Amino acid sequence: MPEGQRRVYNRLAVLRAERGLSRKQLADKLSINYQTIGYIERGDYNPSLELALGIAEFFRLPVEAIFSLKPMTPLSAEIFREPGETR
Amino acid sequence: MFTTSDTTTGIKGIEVSSTTARGIEYLSRSRRRLVVVVALAGYPVAVAVLAGLKHTSLNRWLVLALFILALLPTVAALLVSYRYARGRIDGRRARLDERDRALRQQAYALSHHLLATILTVAAAVTVIYLTSGNVLRLDANNVVPATMWVIVYIPALPSVMLAWIETDQPVDA
Repeated sequence: MPEGQRRVYNRLAVLRAERGLSRKQLADKLSINYQTIGYIERGDYNPSLELALGIAEFFRLPVEAIFSLKPMTPLSAEIFREPGETR
Repeated sequence: MFTTSDTTTGIKGIEVSSTTARGIEYLSRSRRRLVVVVALAGYPVAVAVLAGLKHTSLNRWLVLALFILALLPTVAALLVSYRYARGRIDGRRARLDERDRALRQQAYALSHHLLATILTVAAAVTVIYLTSGNVLRLDANNVVPATMWVIVYIPALPSVMLAWIETDQPVDA
């Protein structure tokens, strides 16, 4: 990642595994190279807004459910969060 | 005429070539950076070796052979860098995605910075040398290596810089 660029955290690997997709399959759906998926998952590359929205559209999720500027909590913790508990 | 063994050798040749290409594609960043250092430093070292050997009593063909030998690592390193960039610099690859394009831009920017630094330092050294009362004689001994450097390095710099900046490829999954 270029110096001075803020890291964008994501849940791409989890979502991809959940749907049983390989990097290649997901990359083909998004018309990008499969290595790019790996770099995004590892946090080495921040996708453009266009690509982030494309990924969100593909997974049918809001973009903030996939990408965040703060480290992401595990999905299970989000699902089973106590009522009134903040993130 | 092709025989069965020719065909087998041909297929094996393709397999070997494909394996080598894949090996280059997955070179770690530290190894790539070593390749870049060899690519950039190899030519000046080879020219220095040639300049040093010219003043010895060695046979000129032997000097030429030693120069070519000293040049081989540079040629190999440049070829590895070209292969690593694999159409991403000249845009020959069928599909460059946004990361490839961003990386290409960074590689060109870094090439420009490096070239500007080298030319500024070379100009400064030349000016200091000339203003110190020295005379610079332009002849084949200094013009040819400089021209060769320009011909070889300027087109190769973006590929070399791409090999330098890209982080390790993620493991396939």
